Amino acid sequence: MKKTYYLFNPGRLSRKDNTLKFTPVDDDGKELMPKYIPVENVSDLYLYGSLDANSALYNFLGKSRINVHFFDYYEHYTGSFYAKEYLQAGKLQVEQTRHYLSDKNRLEIARPLIKGAAHNMLRNLKYYKNRGKNTTPAIDTIEQWISDIDQSQAIDQLMGIEGNIRQCYYIGIDEILKDLKMEGRSKQPPKNEVNSLISFGNMICYTICLDQIYHTQLNPTISFLHEPGARRFSLALDIAEIFKPLLVDRVIFSLLNKQQLKADDFHDGTGRITLKEKGKKVFLKAWEDRLNQTIKHRSLGRHVSYKHLIKLECYKLCNHLIGAKEYQPFKAWW
Amino acid sequence: MYVILVYDMNQKRVAKMLKLCRRYLHWIQNSVFEGELTGVQLKSLKIEAKEIMRGDDSLIIFKSKDERWLEKEVVGDEKNKIDNFL
Repeated sequence: MKKTYYLFNPGRLSRKDNTLKFTPVDDDGKELMPKYIPVENVSDLYLYGSLDANSALYNFLGKSRINVHFFDYYEHYTGSFYAKEYLQAGKLQVEQTRHYLSDKNRLEIARPLIKGAAHNMLRNLKYYKNRGKNTTPAIDTIEQWISDIDQSQAIDQLMGIEGNIRQCYYIGIDEILKDLKMEGRSKQPPKNEVNSLISFGNMICYTICLDQIYHTQLNPTISFLHEPGARRFSLALDIAEIFKPLLVDRVIFSLLNKQQLKADDFHDGTGRITLKEKGKKVFLKAWEDRLNQTIKHRSLGRHVSYKHLIKLECYKLCNHLIGAKEYQPFKAWW
Repeated sequence: MYVILVYDMNQKRVAKMLKLCRRYLHWIQNSVFEGELTGVQLKSLKIEAKEIMRGDDSLIIFKSKDERWLEKEVVGDEKNKIDNFL
């Protein structure tokens, strides 16, 4: 399977002999030994360090269908180099837009999205309940909110329910975590370590969803749960909703509870808590392992990775849009 | 599948082979590469390699189902660590 490459070192990435050549530079600006990245084996690039590149490289990346995601100094997602769409399908595009325009059709997709997300959150809480954590109150309230989803008649109402579910879930998270606590969600800027991890993780999850959408016929700008806005790929937000509890949160719980990440892996930049580079690498390593972990898929009857599950979710959405099969959200069954 | 590839080429063509292999695999030593490939990728690599090869050039591919089943031991200097964190 193709791999994701994470570039931390500052350096120059160039096209050389029809493959990628990365020349790192040290602190004095001296060039070090170049490394060649086999282009046939790259699925996407994540850039954390500063990188020199020219348009010849981007042309080459575009041709090879490699997306590049950029992150700034404060590890915020700043944007993507999105290679030219190669799986356009006019009919699906029309259907996708039509489903967005009709409130009824839109809700038919938005409701299962929330249900899937809530179900996966419950999975996490129940998993830790079996390990002796007191998550029962959170579980009970979330289950009540879930029963309200089918009654919701408008997107705002649905988003309200989603917010309530999340709030209960975050209370549950504090029960799960041993040392560091979350104490409510804060973003822009995240006020403590757990919040900072969640922000970082959600952002990575969002980009991976975008990557998977790219390899399907869906248009990433037309979404159902979130409002499609300008300059953002909001369908990735929709899909990420389902996978955040399963991928991001579980990685965070295990890293924190096993103390692979500790308070000194973060630094405080005037009220904004961010991961240090070492911490970032620890997180991304665990994240990579998680994505490549496989499960035996029930209906496909074969092993699929978590990464591939995201793509399967996109396919399900396609099937719903063209009227082949009603959309059922992915629910963790183990 | 996980692949280890070694070649022995005439000096005139060795650079061509190096360039080809760099597109698919990680360089680990002179004339030695390793990495993960799909069946299709391996096939196209072989086809392209055959176009370069002449005379008594030789290319050997060791295949393993997964990297896990490969026990790798490095004695002395590890020239190029394979990592997707750069």
